[in-house]
Amino acid sequence: MSRRGKGRRTWGAPIALALLSVVGLLSALFADGLGDVVSWVALAAPVAAVVWCMARSA
Amino acid sequence: MTAEAIKRWYFVHKWTSLISTLFLLLLCVTGLPLIFYHEIDHALGYTIEPPELPEVTGRASVDAMVADALARRPDDALQYVMREADEPDIWFVALGETADAPDVSAFYTYDARSGEYLHEYPLRQGVMYFLFRLHYDLFAGLPGTLFLGAMGLLLAASLVSGTVLYGPFMRKLNFGTLRRQRSRRLWWLDLHNLLGIVTLAWLLVVGVTGVINTLAIPILGHWQATQLAEMTGSYRGQETAPSLGTVDRALAAARAAEPDKELSFMAVPGNDFASPGHFVAYMQGSTPWTSRLLTPVLIDARSGAVVDSRELPWYVIALLVSQPLHFGDYGGLPLKVLWAVLDLLAIVVLASGVYLWLKRRNVPFETWYGAAVAEGDEALPAAVSRHGRSA
Repeated sequence: MSRRGKGRRTWGAPIALALLSVVGLLSALFADGLGDVVSWVALAAPVAAVVWCMARSA
Repeated sequence: MTAEAIKRWYFVHKWTSLISTLFLLLLCVTGLPLIFYHEIDHALGYTIEPPELPEVTGRASVDAMVADALARRPDDALQYVMREADEPDIWFVALGETADAPDVSAFYTYDARSGEYLHEYPLRQGVMYFLFRLHYDLFAGLPGTLFLGAMGLLLAASLVSGTVLYGPFMRKLNFGTLRRQRSRRLWWLDLHNLLGIVTLAWLLVVGVTGVINTLAIPILGHWQATQLAEMTGSYRGQETAPSLGTVDRALAAARAAEPDKELSFMAVPGNDFASPGHFVAYMQGSTPWTSRLLTPVLIDARSGAVVDSRELPWYVIALLVSQPLHFGDYGGLPLKVLWAVLDLLAIVVLASGVYLWLKRRNVPFETWYGAAVAEGDEALPAAVSRHGRSA
């Protein structure tokens, strides 16, 4: 695997989850309604990732 | 990364974590119910809903509420009147032993439409207050708060060093691999890495905003000593103007000066957030973002005229914005539930970190690190695994 491919394998999901977390933290701060819904979905992503990994290894 | 660099980062991760873990666990455990402070207070009857009064559209006199409050505690002085943006039918009246006493002595709720006295908030009692003080200052005042702030800085250092270590530890593993066939320790290490990396951004934001919140007293003190002192300058040292009977007039002046904003709270003459001769009305906007920002409007207590109003400086805005980002109270109940779940995951990260250290504290880092990385992902093709080792 190339160095770049390896970096993506290690850091792809963590970076995506970190970006989603930041979007979720900020969206409800700037908008009600849709902003709240975006924050719920985006901040549920890290939790969903944990559930998915636990289910997969079980 | 060289083996030497990995070992150095591990040293940082181990010590920043070991020093702070006990206090971070305390903060996470006490913080969990505090996420629902508002709901629990309400369920315990500490706060109440205003009655349904569909036929009443008028607004009662705040001066009359203040007079009623002072009649209930004749030896005390008025400190603040306040509102909550999502509860327009209620006024809060806060008293203290003096106008500038550090603690509020009574916190009364009034009906904004009828002016009726509704309720007194039970101050400094109950399990939630106990948990709050543990979380806020360990019952030790400002030194306790600043100490917890220092623990928050260690958390940030631990998160950064842990993230740096995530790379070398995961270089042969797919995201989220939990190796359960090898040893219990390896499974806990994988879980620590997974939960640590998925909660990273949230925990860093909650940690850093928590640190900013621990600086609230110095931040506000600096603002009072600089910008507020400048605004109220000529009134310093004067006799305190009476606030009774002039609250409604000051409120009307503040609303006229900032017609797009609503009052958050108003400090009365003699309070540290006002001056001996002024009311200061702290006005908030109506959008989610601008409702966090406050505009102080200075009102001459004797004439009732607006004297000055300014935007807050960046460091006070940073404090005001840090509050929702730390409390998680700005996106409805679903956001609070997510806050609680992420908090529980953070508790597992902390506890698993302690467990891993206990199990390996007598084993040299090189030994167990080598073993942890060598036992790669079984699902991975051998060629990929071999190539990965050379990097």
